[in-house]
Amino acid sequence: MTKRKDITPSPEAETKTQGSAAEAEVATSTGIPRRAFMTGTAATVTAAAVLPNLRMARAAETGPVKIGHIEDLSGNLAVYGVQKYHAALLAVKEINEGKTLKGGPVGSGGLGSMAKFAAAPPVMGNGDKDLKYVSDGGAMTGAGMAFVEDEDVLVDSGDSGLLGREVELIAPDGQSNNNIWQQLTRRLILEDKVDCLVAGFTSAEREAIRPIVDQHKQLYIYTNQYEGGVADSNTFCTGAIVEQQVIPVVDYMIQKFGPRVYTIAADYNFGQLTAAWTKAFAPLVGGEIIEEEFVPLSVSDFTTSIARIQAAKPDWVFTLLVGSNQSNYYPQAAAAGLEYPMASTVNMAQGYEHRRFAPPSLNRMYNCVNYIEEIPTVRNRAFVKRWYEMFPDDPYIGQMAQNTYFSIHLYALAARLAGTTDQETVKKALESGLTIEAPEGAVFLEPSTHHCSHYIRLATADANHNVSFVREWPSIQPWWLQRVGVNLVKHKEYKQYIPDEDPFFTMFAK
Amino acid sequence: MDVMPLVLSLLYQFGTGAAFLFLAALGLVVILGMMNIINLAHGELMMIGAYTATLTYHAGVPFWLSVILSFFVAAAFGAVLELLIVRRFYGRQLGALVVTWGVSLVLGQGTLLFFGPFLPSIGIPGGSFSYGDFSFSAYWLILVLISLLLILGLWWLYNRTPYGLQAKATMQNADMARSLGVRTPLIYTLTFSLGAGLAGLSGALLAPTVTIAPFMGQQFVAPAFITVVVGGSANVIAGAVASSAILAAVKTPIGMAFGAFSGTVALLLAALIIIRIMPNGISASLQKYFNRRAGGAMR
Repeated sequence: MTKRKDITPSPEAETKTQGSAAEAEVATSTGIPRRAFMTGTAATVTAAAVLPNLRMARAAETGPVKIGHIEDLSGNLAVYGVQKYHAALLAVKEINEGKTLKGGPVGSGGLGSMAKFAAAPPVMGNGDKDLKYVSDGGAMTGAGMAFVEDEDVLVDSGDSGLLGREVELIAPDGQSNNNIWQQLTRRLILEDKVDCLVAGFTSAEREAIRPIVDQHKQLYIYTNQYEGGVADSNTFCTGAIVEQQVIPVVDYMIQKFGPRVYTIAADYNFGQLTAAWTKAFAPLVGGEIIEEEFVPLSVSDFTTSIARIQAAKPDWVFTLLVGSNQSNYYPQAAAAGLEYPMASTVNMAQGYEHRRFAPPSLNRMYNCVNYIEEIPTVRNRAFVKRWYEMFPDDPYIGQMAQNTYFSIHLYALAARLAGTTDQETVKKALESGLTIEAPEGAVFLEPSTHHCSHYIRLATADANHNVSFVREWPSIQPWWLQRVGVNLVKHKEYKQYIPDEDPFFTMFAK
Repeated sequence: MDVMPLVLSLLYQFGTGAAFLFLAALGLVVILGMMNIINLAHGELMMIGAYTATLTYHAGVPFWLSVILSFFVAAAFGAVLELLIVRRFYGRQLGALVVTWGVSLVLGQGTLLFFGPFLPSIGIPGGSFSYGDFSFSAYWLILVLISLLLILGLWWLYNRTPYGLQAKATMQNADMARSLGVRTPLIYTLTFSLGAGLAGLSGALLAPTVTIAPFMGQQFVAPAFITVVVGGSANVIAGAVASSAILAAVKTPIGMAFGAFSGTVALLLAALIIIRIMPNGISASLQKYFNRRAGGAMR
């Protein structure tokens, strides 16, 4: 039983053995012949029919709190998966050491923001007129900075582990293969009975496992940035979405470089939908998509795409390329002398292309990110330090890794508020307007759509691949699902909306 | 838009497309085409070449030297692989398929554990130049040239050296070759090692243009098999050259007109049609055609 989870390097080995022992104890106490479930996927699938009865046995809240975590630790997507896995290990370690990220249902920061305040109570109305208004009577009004971003966000939780129980991370390898993702999801839900599932890199992976999650009403946190639109009562999306990444960067690029955009995107649901969003949004900010090209994930020779871009002569190129094969585009384009400015929502902050490729491949790349390792704030520097103390050999901390990190702390925060790990109760607690002080800044989980507001920074790389920040938006709301009327608190839903369903966008298309 | 730059750009794209296919298939031409071993570890052999080149390059070795070094490292690895494992699977094509697949998994995952998910890339050597609307990478043109040299070199090796003669004899009829005094086990080891070395060499040559990652080899496997199978085994070198040229000639104009997705579809369709009408590959049909012409002339 331990062996099957043993894909991990040493740091958490101790946690794991303890966890497994406790897990075995639970198994005997509930009287379920766990062996029967272990014999393979076929057995797991048949077990699904029996499961509703077994779910009752789970109510006893003893043993470790189990967080299921699937990411790609091997294959084409391992570069992102390993980072996210390490982030989960770090968060679980901190929770078990009695630490938490600051946060709660109180909004971001400490005290408010830049504010005027009165030294003495102002006078309401002045004798001459019958109007009620705030006079400038009383003492002089003062003004000052009443908000400073907390520098130290990792504080004592006052709890040992989570609700007095140890947190155990069960983290099998998705192997960059959607079928394996489905098998593992069933196994984590049915066999391991995880209290919370944190998983998913590509949108294809998420859509592969979401029906299984919904079938079992599993509490599921998807931590990736993605194309947006998922309205699912069981799913919480903590990554940034198009409203937060595409609109700001497209707006900036059009102002700075011009309106003619060439989109080159990965040919699967993320690339297709993000390109559709870009096409829908661009007219709102005065842009025009002159050409869209979708590249299969297996393509690694970009000569023809590069010639097509040169023939189209855009003002800038929007690159939505995913996976190690497709990142070949950058060195190849640089070698062919392609010097258009580029924008993206996925590169740099995710696959650290600016560290991997020799300069100037990523020169003039612009990306709106909710996290990037180079953020110069005190709280982020502390986070980066904690990370490299635990994983000294890691090459980079990406955007999704940070999301996984704060999401697990967010889960712990919600479970403490709920006072239980019962999934329905924790889901309600997550819908209570929680804010968490993540390394990026304050993140607010919007209850009605299960998406997060983020601190968004527009990062860019220069010819030497140094990262700088040209604009910052301390909080951008995920507003589109609200626009189409999603309210998961009132009405349960299990679908993904796409821009075609909103006539709003066609109004502006030229 | 002027026509001249477009024509030049299409020619350049055709050249790089064909060179990419040929280089991807290079090691497999020997191992699958000649030895008839379905080598699913082909991509990992290319990965070994690319890793050798990258590691030595970053250790300060000049790029071209590190490319040559990767040939020998991959060849040495190939020899060990042949002696320890592949040797036991001659004549058992499906067994070889499974065992080389296993080897590829071990190599890929082992590299991930040992070197992490990425190595820093090698900057593409050589600059670029432009003509009209289009600009071109000098390095890709060098790759096209190197591909031509490799074709000549392979042809020379197999048609003008004693090793080539013995290798061809061994692959055609091992028993007969052995009875004529050819040390067939040595020839097998040498040939497999040569195939592995060539895979490593092309991995190193393509390294600056791709991401250096443990599973990087997988992107070459499908193009390599398509090229070799379409080329056929009657004359592996001519077959590989003809098939990479034909496939690139189909892919380039369609990709340019309708995008990368259509280009890929066109390439696969072309491969399908060629295999349907020439089940033994292009080289078999070519050979039949020339034989018939020679026969006709004699009559």
